[in-house]
Amino acid sequence: MGANTNKTIFSSYVRKDGLFDEVFGNDGNVKSVYKKLLDLYGSRSIENYVTLNNKAKSSFFNQGITFQVYGDKQSQEKIFPFDLFPRIIDPKEWDVIEKGAIQRSLALNHFLWDVYHDKKIVKDKIVPIELLSSSPNYLHQMMDVDPPSKIYNHISGTDIIKHADGNYYVLEDNIRCPSGVSYVICNRTALKRALFGVFNHYKTYTVTDYAENLLNLLESVKPPGVDSPVCVVITPGMFNSAYYEHSYLAKAMGVELVEGRDLFVENDFVYMKTTQGPVRVDVVYRRIDDLFIDPMEFNPDSSLGVPGLFAAYRKGNVTLANAPGTGVADDKAIYTYVPDIIKYYLNEEPILKNVHTYHCSRPDELQYVLDHVAELVVKPVDEAGGYGISIGNKLTKAEIEEVKIKVKANPRKFVAQPIMSLSVHPTYIDQNESFEQRHVDLRTFTVLGQDKQFVLKGGLTRVALKEGNLIVNSSQGGGSKDTWVLKQ
Amino acid sequence: MLYEYEIDYDTQNSYEKGLSEAFWQFLVIPEDNDTQEVSYWHFENDLGERNSVSENGLGFKTVQVRSKREIDHITFNAHFKLTKKEINPFDFELPLDLADELRILDSLDFKVDHEPYLRKTRLTSLPEKHANIFLFDRSKSIFENLVDLNHWVFIQLYFKTGVTDVDTPLEEIIEKRHGVCQDFTHLFCAIAKQNGVPCRYVSGYLHQGIGFFGDSQMHAWAEAFVPNVGWIGFDPTNNLLANHNHIKVCHGKDYTDCAPLKGVVYTLGGNETKYSVLVKAAEQQQQ
Repeated sequence: MGANTNKTIFSSYVRKDGLFDEVFGNDGNVKSVYKKLLDLYGSRSIENYVTLNNKAKSSFFNQGITFQVYGDKQSQEKIFPFDLFPRIIDPKEWDVIEKGAIQRSLALNHFLWDVYHDKKIVKDKIVPIELLSSSPNYLHQMMDVDPPSKIYNHISGTDIIKHADGNYYVLEDNIRCPSGVSYVICNRTALKRALFGVFNHYKTYTVTDYAENLLNLLESVKPPGVDSPVCVVITPGMFNSAYYEHSYLAKAMGVELVEGRDLFVENDFVYMKTTQGPVRVDVVYRRIDDLFIDPMEFNPDSSLGVPGLFAAYRKGNVTLANAPGTGVADDKAIYTYVPDIIKYYLNEEPILKNVHTYHCSRPDELQYVLDHVAELVVKPVDEAGGYGISIGNKLTKAEIEEVKIKVKANPRKFVAQPIMSLSVHPTYIDQNESFEQRHVDLRTFTVLGQDKQFVLKGGLTRVALKEGNLIVNSSQGGGSKDTWVLKQ
Repeated sequence: MLYEYEIDYDTQNSYEKGLSEAFWQFLVIPEDNDTQEVSYWHFENDLGERNSVSENGLGFKTVQVRSKREIDHITFNAHFKLTKKEINPFDFELPLDLADELRILDSLDFKVDHEPYLRKTRLTSLPEKHANIFLFDRSKSIFENLVDLNHWVFIQLYFKTGVTDVDTPLEEIIEKRHGVCQDFTHLFCAIAKQNGVPCRYVSGYLHQGIGFFGDSQMHAWAEAFVPNVGWIGFDPTNNLLANHNHIKVCHGKDYTDCAPLKGVVYTLGGNETKYSVLVKAAEQQQQ
């Protein structure tokens, strides 16, 4: 390592008042879970850190751990910006997150069963019917279909933030095809390589058992009558932004990665084309959106899907994970009702809080939103990846007017929330060659199987790399950190 | 009275550059219901590819054919025999209780139970500026209003082939005032839904009058839900209530749920599809 200067890694770290720093308290003291880490590395020079960080980054690139941004003219692969300084979560706090994430996933699974069967929650006036009837993700083809083990949202990605008040809040539920878990595992691998000694000082839960747990779950929801199921991962293909993850998960689970054209359906059974002839497929972990999985039933122009797949699913001959139609429950307008949904089906108080949300579909709330665009985050209800979000205090006057016009034209399409102050975490910023406060969130991964639930003990801490930015999605220039959950 | 019908459905598909792999799905088999019963059906293709019977997402029987050979044409033939009962569309007690009908229509439970067919789809949404093109008269029963609507659509549009296709938006149909049975049906559905009455698109065969022999296309009409009565078929293209000449295959939210033939073919060139339908009435039997 190069010549050491006197500049240690936190020597020029500035803490701003009013921001909740995950590492330092208001008094400037290091919080207990980070103490040992700073004892070990705090006196190292920034150059040392940079050398290590660059090694980790080039290892990412060499392994092809990349993603693509849609709409980019050059559309080239980028590495997911990574920062070696980890986020550490105290066991007591994790306990709340884990229980809360499971509670939410179970409640949303009940909700999905209900809206595709008796629709009691709507008849009991807890959730307004308009939210179903205006959702393009509410699939009539799923009406009265019983998915194996009654599970719809096998895999959920719950986005959680820590607010300035020190509480965790859920920002979003992602129960269509949540992505990001491969980065969790790769971040850990990279960190272990770069700072191998540190794990001798911290008892941290492993994250590398995710694929094993996922496979276990997929096998548990096999169609009835199948002994040892054949599972596959289906991807839209190499041009999908999460293709790396699809291939990683297939490889880590030891199952085939397929595209639509690798499968075919005959007599309502699904087969994979192999060099040894057709092989029956029982469970499909699908990373293709609902409307593209089967051109016979949904978007007829889809060349990504498998013709006849939905009929095979409806017949019970193949399991799709997640089930088609889960999108109706991760619509951002449904989000507001999740606390009520939890109470309704589980008769429990929500463990994780929701951020207050205004529905632009309600006239009085619409007026409030239009009057306060500058103080609110306005989000389209049906977009993922941070697209179309506007953050009020970052907008110019002209941009505020544009947002108003968009919202007025289609109120149902938008919700708004107060601008939450996400917690900040020291993050190394290349241009400034120093650690600075950056906002972070946490995507947790919850897996539901036949009588079992699993939350990955860790998760993807996403970092908004631009100063003051609150949007952490990788497609919007976010980075990530390894996330440690400590053992008791 | 029982009516006996024989139906032939033929389609010839040719592919300019040939194809290497294909999947076709047919939604052409008449359903079995209270008024009709299929006694025989046969489905074949001239290349001897295997047929498999499946169901679409709304539970209607389909036939799927998969080919993995290099071919440049394929012909499918379907043949059905069925009996159809006399339908009396007025088989309920009049007068209907108007207040009760409206109460049911406005109730949450009704809206929830019938949500699939109250939902407006791309093909069954009235454009904003035509939202009030036909308002129901609340002093009349729902049934009478639907009969009026059926007549209104029949008068409003001119039957003209070749000017619209399956994707023509309602706005154009309303403004140009022409179309085929699909367009008549979409307009009927859109207005019924706009007035809070559940309505679905029906695809099937029409026997064009007793003793009438001739080619025809597949037909489309609508079914609307009348509180305290049930689903009633309306054929706005002919200003008729659906009767024993209407042989139902399936229903759905609009044409996209009911397309008789869907396919995925791997080919580089263009393709051409011709199809014909022949509905013959056999002798009538006294019950």
